[in-house]
Amino acid sequence: MSTTQHHFISRRHTVDDLSAAQEWFHSRKWSDGLPIVPPTEGLVAQCLDWALLAPDHLIGIEPVRERAITAEKVAINAVMAGCLPMHFPVVVAALTAMLQEPFVLHGATSSTGGCAVLVVINGPVRLEQQMDPTFSVLGASDRSTTVIGRAIRLVLYNLLDVRPGEVDRSTLGHPGKISFCLSEDEENSAWLPLAEERGVPHYASAVTVMAAGAPRQIMNEWTTQPEELLNTYVAEIKASMRHYSIWPGNYAIVIPPQLREHFNQAGWSKAMIREYIFEHARIHRREWADCGKGAVVADKGDREHAALPSPDDLLVIAAGGPAGGFGAVIPPWFGKTSRAVTIAIGACVDCEI
Amino acid sequence: MTIEFLDPTHENRFGNFALAPRLATLENAVVAMVSNGKKGTIPFFDTLEETLRSTYGVAEVVRITKSNYSTPVETALLGDAERWNALVAGIGD
Repeated sequence: MSTTQHHFISRRHTVDDLSAAQEWFHSRKWSDGLPIVPPTEGLVAQCLDWALLAPDHLIGIEPVRERAITAEKVAINAVMAGCLPMHFPVVVAALTAMLQEPFVLHGATSSTGGCAVLVVINGPVRLEQQMDPTFSVLGASDRSTTVIGRAIRLVLYNLLDVRPGEVDRSTLGHPGKISFCLSEDEENSAWLPLAEERGVPHYASAVTVMAAGAPRQIMNEWTTQPEELLNTYVAEIKASMRHYSIWPGNYAIVIPPQLREHFNQAGWSKAMIREYIFEHARIHRREWADCGKGAVVADKGDREHAALPSPDDLLVIAAGGPAGGFGAVIPPWFGKTSRAVTIAIGACVDCEI
Repeated sequence: MTIEFLDPTHENRFGNFALAPRLATLENAVVAMVSNGKKGTIPFFDTLEETLRSTYGVAEVVRITKSNYSTPVETALLGDAERWNALVAGIGD
């Protein structure tokens, strides 16, 4: 129970029972179609207490619509999504990252391109919250990552009106819009965690957010050579450049244990993987003509396009179940219009001290 | 047993925008148009410009284009705004 008396500004509503609460939320498009946990004052207060945040704490401002995102409203939506108090600081961190200018939150969440917000979690918080970075890691592998990802979506719904057909103008969208969150398998990886590679101190918990298309699964069980394994990832990235977008941006790749073992045996680091993919994931503009886009090749057919602006723009994530020569490529929403952002959980950006 | 809960929406507490004062006429006005830069907006704005000039007597149409269609217009592009009577901004695809 909360020990702090908070002053909430949100309107209060009363319904007869749990069933009526569900219909209340669904009929107003306050939910994503799944049942919600009614955000009672007590549950919301517990979230705020856990994170040591006052209700009016400003998490950030979405600049296009000039919407202030406060801890109170985020906590309400987190409770609805099924979050426990311990999940709330992760949700706050993810939203803080999304509200940083390079992420371009309004564009990423309103675009016809239909991306979702990929959230990658690093650090001790993964173990505290029993996140599971192994089996079915891209498909609701555990309670914590599922509800954290869903909380992000409900915040977008209710605080920024990013509902399908409203601010969300996605032509198709993808299933990651329900929840698109995973943790990295740091314990079973010889590599630096993603967040540490991106500047967060060792042992700090952190989130990385990326405006991302749907994951595309690859398979290669017929080699142990790192270059050949990476050529399979590169083939998928190049396919995305041909049939979706040629513009360079952040890509994420997920490497499960069976493939990681081959890289480890050969002494390959994440940095070496990033460098290899940066060098090889390139196509010529004329290749667009092979997939029906000849009209936009014009006289620029010999121009080479790299998938990544730099090697650092590849997010390499160690995750996945123990068996299977599979992997995944997660493409960007649209080139470098939006950039991935990493911040430590509990870090205060632009705080007044 | 009843359940009392808190409202999850913004409740229109933030970001309330007021409409700019309406012009009585566009005759001899200077009208600026902000394009998001998408190719498909060009014929749309061409038609709008022609309509403003031929039907409404607009004296000058100023066309400005954002460098990134997903972000707000750059302040530098609005440097001449004081001399505009109206500004058209919207969504094009």
